[in-house]
Amino acid sequence: MIVSRLILTGVLALTGLQAWAAAEALPQLSPQTLAQAATPDSFTVPTPGELLAALNKVGKPNWQAQYRQPIPTAYTSRPQIALNLGGLIADGYIAVEAEDSQQVKNIGKDIMTLARTLGISENVLRRGKSIEDFAENNEWSTLKEELEATQNEVKLAMDEQHDEELTTLVTLGGWIRGTEAVSGWITNNYSEPAAKLLRQPAIVGLLRARLATLPAKTQEDDLVKGLDPRLKAIQAIVSFSPGQTPSQADVKKLNKTAAEMILSIISKR
Amino acid sequence: MKPFFLFAILIAALSLGPVPALADTDAEVAAHRLALDLAGAFSNDGFKLRDGNYSGTLKAGETALVQVNLYAGNQYWFTVATADPKMMVSINLYDETGKLVKTDPYTNANRVAAGFAPDTSGPYYVRIADAAGAGATYCLIYSYK
Repeated sequence: MIVSRLILTGVLALTGLQAWAAAEALPQLSPQTLAQAATPDSFTVPTPGELLAALNKVGKPNWQAQYRQPIPTAYTSRPQIALNLGGLIADGYIAVEAEDSQQVKNIGKDIMTLARTLGISENVLRRGKSIEDFAENNEWSTLKEELEATQNEVKLAMDEQHDEELTTLVTLGGWIRGTEAVSGWITNNYSEPAAKLLRQPAIVGLLRARLATLPAKTQEDDLVKGLDPRLKAIQAIVSFSPGQTPSQADVKKLNKTAAEMILSIISKR
Repeated sequence: MKPFFLFAILIAALSLGPVPALADTDAEVAAHRLALDLAGAFSNDGFKLRDGNYSGTLKAGETALVQVNLYAGNQYWFTVATADPKMMVSINLYDETGKLVKTDPYTNANRVAAGFAPDTSGPYYVRIADAAGAGATYCLIYSYK
């Protein structure tokens, strides 16, 4: 038995080596080839959950300290609703990390309220019920997947309503809220490994490029107009080279800019 | 005049060629199911599955390239499957300079996976290639922990 396991392990290792040897013969990809890579939102932009998971490995964050006051849920501007939906989904991930079922349920309700104002509540409502049930049963792992599924459901409903441009804003809202929470913790608990997690040049570049392709009417929205200059400032902070580490002052500056962005996103106009 | 105008628009629209399918093809759905089967094994090991997927069809000799953004400290599995057992694909991961990175390979007939734990946060590129030279409809998914 032990001998057969050893043989199996040896075969797997050999297969792995053969696969690596074959792969090693592959040429390096040119910058032009890399530039042509597909960048679908639901694949290329990580969920807030991935960032929080990485931070959990370099520290023991007090996630409850990253909660924010409940945000208004009676907006009239669709871009603003989309941005806040993304932010709330990020809040959901934070509450799941804190294993706080009541907070998860509260956020779930806010997500549903905002979704209703966009008229996309049908399928999302079912997700809302699932979030409540999973939170009730403390199913934290399932909740992370449910939150992403809810986000995708919201985006799908937006596509069906010919509001495709709003899906970018949902992604952006979630990413910026996740960045605010994580940079806030790192500012107060600075370490080099944690600060290096903030290296996300391609994501900001992608979000800025997506903003630039929004319809003119959406781009003229005062809130949307104010996003790109702040994203540009954030891009400068998170685009450090792989060997570098941002200083505590850099992280603080990132947190301040992200917090200002969030403030503008939640402020009623 | 008006009916003629509408008719002209209709003819012009039809002449633009086939409209891309909004829904996944049957082959993509089947490939997705097979990829999920394999990724289920990683879920048992604590990996969270991303809800999104990337599907398509490779003609003989073609490759597909997708950007992902990974965090140092996390572990990832990229899983790709094809619907037809005779159609095989390979999967490789590249860093932001275009250099191939070493991954843990897993191959099981028409399902392959690559495991990776980055030391550096940032963009990486998943390359899917037609390994059998016959073309393939594939579905790529990923899990993390």
